[in-house]
Order: sequence, then C-alpha cells, then structure tokens
Amino acid sequence: MGCHSVAVQEISDANKIKILLMGNPNVGKSVIFSKLTGVHVDSSNYAGTTVDYTVGDVNFGSGQGVIIDVPGTYSLEATSEAERVAISLLEEGADVIICVLDATNLERNLDLAFRLKEYPIPIVYSLNLVDVAERQGIKIDVDKLAKELGSPVIPTVAIKNVGLRKLMTTAIKLSKERKEAEPKLEDEERWDKIKEIVNKVQIQIEKEELTFIEKLENWTIQPWPGIPIALLVLVLSLGIVVGGGKALRALILLPLVRDVIQPLLAKIVSLVIPAGIVRNILVGEFGILVIGIEWPFALILPYVFLFYVVFSFLEDSGYLPRIGVLADGVLRRIGIQGGNIIPMMLGYGCAVPAIIGTRAANSYKERVMVAALVSFAIPCASQSGAFFALLGDKSIFSLIFVYLVSIFAMLSVGNLLNKIIPGKSQPLLLEVPNLLLPDKDAFKKKLKLRMKSFLVDAEGPMLIGIIIAAIIAETGLLNGISKLITPLVEGWLGLPKEASLALLLGIIRREMAVLPLLELNLNTLQLTVGSIVALFYLPCLSVFGVLAKEFSVKWALFVGLITTTSAFVFGGLVNYIGSIIMGLIG
Amino acid sequence: MSLIDGQKLSAYMVENLPNSHLLKVLGIRKGAKLVIQSKQPFKGPVVVKVGNRSVAIDYDVAKEIVIKEVA
Repeated sequence: MGCHSVAVQEISDANKIKILLMGNPNVGKSVIFSKLTGVHVDSSNYAGTTVDYTVGDVNFGSGQGVIIDVPGTYSLEATSEAERVAISLLEEGADVIICVLDATNLERNLDLAFRLKEYPIPIVYSLNLVDVAERQGIKIDVDKLAKELGSPVIPTVAIKNVGLRKLMTTAIKLSKERKEAEPKLEDEERWDKIKEIVNKVQIQIEKEELTFIEKLENWTIQPWPGIPIALLVLVLSLGIVVGGGKALRALILLPLVRDVIQPLLAKIVSLVIPAGIVRNILVGEFGILVIGIEWPFALILPYVFLFYVVFSFLEDSGYLPRIGVLADGVLRRIGIQGGNIIPMMLGYGCAVPAIIGTRAANSYKERVMVAALVSFAIPCASQSGAFFALLGDKSIFSLIFVYLVSIFAMLSVGNLLNKIIPGKSQPLLLEVPNLLLPDKDAFKKKLKLRMKSFLVDAEGPMLIGIIIAAIIAETGLLNGISKLITPLVEGWLGLPKEASLALLLGIIRREMAVLPLLELNLNTLQLTVGSIVALFYLPCLSVFGVLAKEFSVKWALFVGLITTTSAFVFGGLVNYIGSIIMGLIG
Repeated sequence: MSLIDGQKLSAYMVENLPNSHLLKVLGIRKGAKLVIQSKQPFKGPVVVKVGNRSVAIDYDVAKEIVIKEVA
C-alpha cells in the first residue's frame, strides 16, 4: 500500500490528476477517451511490454489532468500482455478510475468492475451505450447498480456526448477522496454475486423484430451471405482507395504540383543558383525539389491517406473481426488463425504497424509467419500507390497480375513456413463486436495519429532516397554503379540499365523500387517484370528496423535475403516466360 | 453432445468445457446458456451468442465443449 500512496503523491505534486480509463474491449472506451481529451494525444508503449496505450490531456474548471486509455481487458488475470499492462498501471496508482461498462452486456462487464475494487483507487462507472441497450429492450436501474457497486454510476451515450460532463465532474470529485482496497473474491463467488446483481438491476424485454443493424450483424458472420458481403466490402474499399486516389492525384495534386509549385520553385532556384550541377540537383529532371515533391505528395500520399480512411472506418465499425471469423477456416490451413487477417490487412497500409500489430495475443509461430508474409508478399500503400501510378494507365492487366502473384506467393510461402516453423497456432477465441457507425471525433484522432506517423516515418527516408537519386542521376554516378549490375538488370530481367537506380533506391523505401521506372518508357513486359521485382524486393529500411527489434537482426537479414532472391528469381522467370509468349504472338 | 454438433439457431446449456480463462471471462462457463449463431466451413469457428454478444470459438476448442439442449 505504501508504494501506491507514494506514486499518487508524486503525480498530485505535478498538479495534474491521473485518471485511468478502463473497460472491456469494444465498449466505446476510445470514443470516451477522444471526447474527454483535448487535441494533444500520444500513443505510448508501456515499458518492458509490447502493448501500446494512449495518453491525453484534459482540462477542467479548476485544474488539469491526464487520462490514460488502458488497453481493454475482460479481467485482470495477467493471462495476456494487455492485462499485464492494465495491472501494472493499476499498481503504479492513480487518483481515480473511470470504468466503462457496456449496458448491452452488463453481466460480462461486471467481472472487471469487481476486480477493480481490489485496488485502493476511487472508481466511477460509466454505463455506456444505454441508448443501444434501450433499443434492444434492456433496462438497467442505475441507482440500484450504484448501490451494489458501492460507487457512482453515470449513464452515458459517449458517441452523442450524453453524460460525459457529469462523468468528468464526478471523477474529479472522487479523485480527492481516499478509498480502501477491498478483498479479492474467488471466481465462483464473484460470478454468483454478479448474476445476482444483474437479476436485481436489469430487466430485459424480448423483442420480436430485429433491427436492420442486428440483421446485418447476423448476416456478416454467416458463410452465406457473409462471404459475398466481405468480398463486396473489399472491392468497394479497393475502389475507394484506387479510384479516389487516382482522382485526387490527377485532378488536384498533380496539376497543383506540376503547374504551380514546381515552376515556382524552378524560378526561385534559377534566380539564386547559377546553371550547373547544383541547380540540376535541385530542379533538374530528377531534381530534389521536383520529384522530392511530386513523388511523395502527389503520387503516394493520396493512396496512403485513403487507405487509412477506409481501414480506420472498417476497424472502428467492428467489421474486421467478422472477416477474421469467416477467413479462419481457410487461414488455418496455412497455420494462421483468422484474427491475424487484421494485421495482414493493415500490412496493405504499412508493414511497420502490421508487424507491431502481430504482438497482440498470438503464438510466436504466428507472429513470425504474419511478419514474414507482410514483409515478403504484401505491398504497402506507398508501394501500391507506385504500382497504380506505373501500371494503372498503361496496363491494367499487369496490375491485376502483380496482385494475383502477391496472393499466390502469400499462400505458398505461408504453407511452407507452416511446415518449417515448429509450434502450433493459438486457437481463435474472440468476441465479435457489435457493428456501429464510427464516431467522428475518435475516427479523426486515429486518422491523424496514423497520418502523422506516416509523414514522420515514411516521408523522411523517402526524401533521403530522392536526394540520393538526384545526386546519383544528375552527377553521372549512376552509369558507374549501373555497370556493376548490368548483367543482372539487362540480361536476366530484360530492363534498361537505368532501372538499376530503382534497385538501389528500393533498399531505402519500397515504392522507390518502382517510381524510377516511371521515367523510363518501358514496354508492358518490362513494366510487369519491374513490378514483380519490386513486389518481392527488400522490405524498406523501417521494416528492417522493426523486424530486428521485434525478432532479431539475424532474422531480419534472413527475410531480406529470401525476399531479394525471390525478387530476382521471379522477375527473371516472368521476363523469360513473357519473352517466349511475346515471341510466339509476335 | 459437443458444441460442433449443435444446430444453428438452437439454444443450449454448457455442461462441461476445457479449462480456459478466456472462455470463462467471455461468459462461456458451466451452466451458461448460449445460442449457436453460425458455423463456418473448413472447420472454421463456431459463433455463439452468450448474453448479448457474439463469441467466435475455434473449431478444436468448440469440439471440447459439451452442451445440452434446453427447451
């Protein structure tokens, strides 16, 4: 106990009250978090673990506080990383806990509610989703529940801002009080007590009619019509990202960059810097200020942005776990449980969060497999943007071919890894969350965090790559380097020697293995070969970093070796077979 | 009978189950009532409704859960 009060003391010295926001997964905790906190929100990693939590500032009349969005847990048994983090945060102490309860599922939520009473921290309960509960015919007597729990219970509809002010004022009031820890109840005893309480405080009227959302919830976990719906969702998502990205690029970003920004920069530079190598490096054909703006902002950004818009929407709507349920049967053939489809889909955005996302709760074998598949065969949004830019206008066939190869490679490599890597995959056991329309504020905050990390982590290395490209291309260095790998590039892959620039830069960023090909006037076969090489080629530097950090340097190097070898083997094969076919046709 | 042999949309009571903490906190305990919501092909998970939430249970785990029909 002594250590708790010390920790609390330290924080109150800083004049900020410390609030732990806790609850089961999928109870609207993140929505409450984003409504209560201000603009300043950061994602952190809990020391010594692999689980991220979010911290935000909150201002109220008389002072300031910090809210910690503790990972959602069903219990406090330390059976998963998330629960261990929750326990550590509780043991560090706080001034008050806001515990979010799902009114549509009170019985399950009360388990955590009771466990929290074992800590000497005042609690206020937020009975959330009371509107949904009412629609489902559930009525809860709030006063009775508060009495049973021995702490205030505030009914809330977070998404509509209902009850949040009262929740906050109650939390602040409680933060000044002291509370004794209560003794732990045995599991059976606690569950019996919970059942008793639920019987006392809750009335449920059976409803005949299902609402549309309830019907949809039911459909989306049946093979029929769930699988067609899933395919439709995927096609629609792809349409939004590809079509929308193309429209943004062609109608707004490219004209803006090419007709306004680039000429302006060219003019300014030519006023200041005399004609010559330096001016060329800055605003020449491959100049830093030319492609350094065009590639990241006009070609890549629109796709990455739209990918995260669509992905965050699907994630917040509670739809993704349903795809996991539907895909489990098939994915388990290659030794991966269905839940892993979420990090794999995230891999189409960026491999780094996808690899970090594998930490969640799975076996080591599955982590290794998903990380390998994401690094090997799943093109990230930047790379996809580059593929669309390269192939979209010239050959839709090649574009589809590249993605089919990617899926085929994923299945065969998965199958192979499943056989080599020892161990078993963890069985799928997950709560399928309700479907709901994502909250605007929570959605915006998530999108902002993701775009911020993309701009910081991706655009930086990309600019460095472009600077190197500009120097190599404009100084004639390229010719020297190209000579070294010409046999590979010209002979085996059938690409012009300038394409070696793409291979050099591809080490830094995945899309840089594709973008230089844009300037080369390649035929369809060459474009396809180039794309296949780029698809399998080295994962980018950040992926290396995260692989080395999450697994080991040796393993990261191994992945790099395998991907590069397959890139050249498959690229060469496509060139070889393609040439034969072209020869037959021609 | 085993959970995998249950009928879709029928109600059952859990008679016996493997000792898994996660199953228990998800509400699947001895004596709990559940309705089978869906079954998936290729030995995919069984989705059951417990209380007001759906829980997807791996085929091999579902095989170990013993259920009894309730009226």
